[in-house]
Amino acid sequence: MIKGFYRISTVTLAALYLLLFSLNRGSLAAEEFSFDVEEFESKAFEWGGYAEIKLEHIDLNSESTFYALNFYNDPRGTIDRYSGTLQLDVGYKKGIGAFNGLLHAEARHDDSGGSDAVDIYEANLSLKPLPFFTTDLGKRTFRWGTGYAWNPVGFIDRPKDPDNPEEALEGYIAAGVDLIKSFNRPLQTIALTTVAIPVYEHVNEDFGESGYMNVAAKLYLLYRDTDIDLVLFSGNSRSLRYGVDFSRNLTTNFEIHGEYAYLTDLKQKYLGPSGVLEGRDPSVGKYLFGLRYLTENDITTIIEYYHNGAGFSPEELTAFYQLVEDADAHLTDTGSDHLIQNAKTVSGKGYNSPNLGRNYLYSKINQKDPFDILYLTPGLITIVNLDDRSYSISPEILYTGFTNWELRLRYTFLNGGTFTEFAEKLNKNKLELRLRYHF
Amino acid sequence: MARNKPSSTLRILSRCVLLNMLAGLLIAAPAAALDGNEILLRVDRNLQPESYEMYRKLINIEPDGSKKEYVLYTVKKGREKMVALFLAPASEKGRATLRLGENMWLYIPSVGRPIRITSLQSVVGGVFNNSDILRLDYSAEYEAAVDDETEENYILACTAKTASVAYDRLKMTVEKKAMVPLTIECYAASGMLIKTLYYKKIKDFGDNLVRPSVLETDSPLYKGYKSVMLYAKVTSKKLADEVFTLNYLPRVNELR
Repeated sequence: MIKGFYRISTVTLAALYLLLFSLNRGSLAAEEFSFDVEEFESKAFEWGGYAEIKLEHIDLNSESTFYALNFYNDPRGTIDRYSGTLQLDVGYKKGIGAFNGLLHAEARHDDSGGSDAVDIYEANLSLKPLPFFTTDLGKRTFRWGTGYAWNPVGFIDRPKDPDNPEEALEGYIAAGVDLIKSFNRPLQTIALTTVAIPVYEHVNEDFGESGYMNVAAKLYLLYRDTDIDLVLFSGNSRSLRYGVDFSRNLTTNFEIHGEYAYLTDLKQKYLGPSGVLEGRDPSVGKYLFGLRYLTENDITTIIEYYHNGAGFSPEELTAFYQLVEDADAHLTDTGSDHLIQNAKTVSGKGYNSPNLGRNYLYSKINQKDPFDILYLTPGLITIVNLDDRSYSISPEILYTGFTNWELRLRYTFLNGGTFTEFAEKLNKNKLELRLRYHF
Repeated sequence: MARNKPSSTLRILSRCVLLNMLAGLLIAAPAAALDGNEILLRVDRNLQPESYEMYRKLINIEPDGSKKEYVLYTVKKGREKMVALFLAPASEKGRATLRLGENMWLYIPSVGRPIRITSLQSVVGGVFNNSDILRLDYSAEYEAAVDDETEENYILACTAKTASVAYDRLKMTVEKKAMVPLTIECYAASGMLIKTLYYKKIKDFGDNLVRPSVLETDSPLYKGYKSVMLYAKVTSKKLADEVFTLNYLPRVNELR
């Protein structure tokens, strides 16, 4: 425990040191009007990253399902959490070869204790003997698909956090080949990406069933000013799945995009009508349609509709919420938590994953430089579960006026009726202050 | 055969004389003989080679005098292919923008997948928008006519070829001697002045490239704000077409 706390303090203090050091350096920076281009000459080794401090105040929803599961033996009304993050990006290039690495270290501490983790998000060696041919080996993040908040065709990606879809994610160990060919119109570009993903003991174990080599491929076309991807995943660690996506600018300020994925033979557990976990292996479709629109006064709107064919039906979710409520009542009546433990097991079978329903609407609206205040970007993010009408709303303010600094204040409010997704989450609301320094 | 010799020599001589006369006429021809589109083509070639790389610093200056600076490495090929990679500040480093004709994308390393952006947005804030930062040849986007002419300058009236071009009309003042723009007023379809670009400080970049090294802009929409672009190391470079694709964006830095 002491050792853990020491590590938390070390990462947090390191982040704090970088923040303070850079603040001092920024204020002393000369405000000259010159361009010393030699300073930006290419170097074989380059590095960068960011240090971050985050403070969160969370009001817990003591009436909710996930509060009952997580705090039944440790009741509390709020959580105050602080965390420090260091993300280090390194690159080395020589001749036709290049190495890229991304290291992510995070430590957090709240009322119930602390935790820390150091992860290698990426460590990838690439060789590019010709402009149209690249081969990669190592840990990489792929991010396939054109959606902003969700990517149904992201078959070899970790799922995004719709609340923070632009954050870096941990990759998978893979070997890949990239072929590109450019033509004259109407087909301007064709690119084929093929990836082999091994899943064995200690290698990509969390990807799927162990003991198999899997293959994924993406064929990209830029055809008549439209991005089109055809995507395929085949292997035994996950079931066969294929999909297509597109993206296109209709006008200079209006973009549309979409994805469709078909996933075969998914292995799922769900709560049947009798309240017992049952298995099924459906083949489902997932799809997403979205748009991005920019007004003359710099308001950007992103709207996406997402159908998650692999999600739980409203009846299955209600059965789960009822199971937990019954377990909580049993705990109150008898003092025995064995039904709660049982409900936690059920929760771990997919009921605790984010956006576990079937139909969602996402919107993000922000305005750059309102009222002539440069580098200020207020925004509003909304996620609605269209099946049960529950929602989360997050107003935020982002300020980037100091070079390399980013200050974000965000408040998230969750609401919905009884036995609805967002009303049954752990939090009632969350206030978050994030200070990030890029170096 | 012997009789043919003098006649073929004469023919060659007369051709040479004709060619010389034609060349002399072209050189001596008053520049006013050029039409607007020809002037625009010359302006494009004088501003940048057909295929090249360059470094630029963008400076946004706020009314209180405070500044925010960006450094970009840029490569361009032909009239419609361009990539710009951010080298500084650290918060933007690694971001890359690609333009293929009317299509624009932004690659953010942490996001991974390049996202489509629009010409009216600005990836750097300030007065320059994406179409200023990823500017194609003027002749690729505009039809030009000579609107007026002084002893030293042409005044060109440029009209966008398609509705997807960021500015509907340009009023471009071109210096006759150097055949480079001095000022460009950019108008919306409504006739509203969006911004004015000022090309300044003509500099020899080597390889017969003599062009302005500074581009300033202000806008009635951003009163008191100013943005400046400084050019350095504009040099010809052979580039494969595949450099200008989404798959290549994460690797643009390897071109340097």
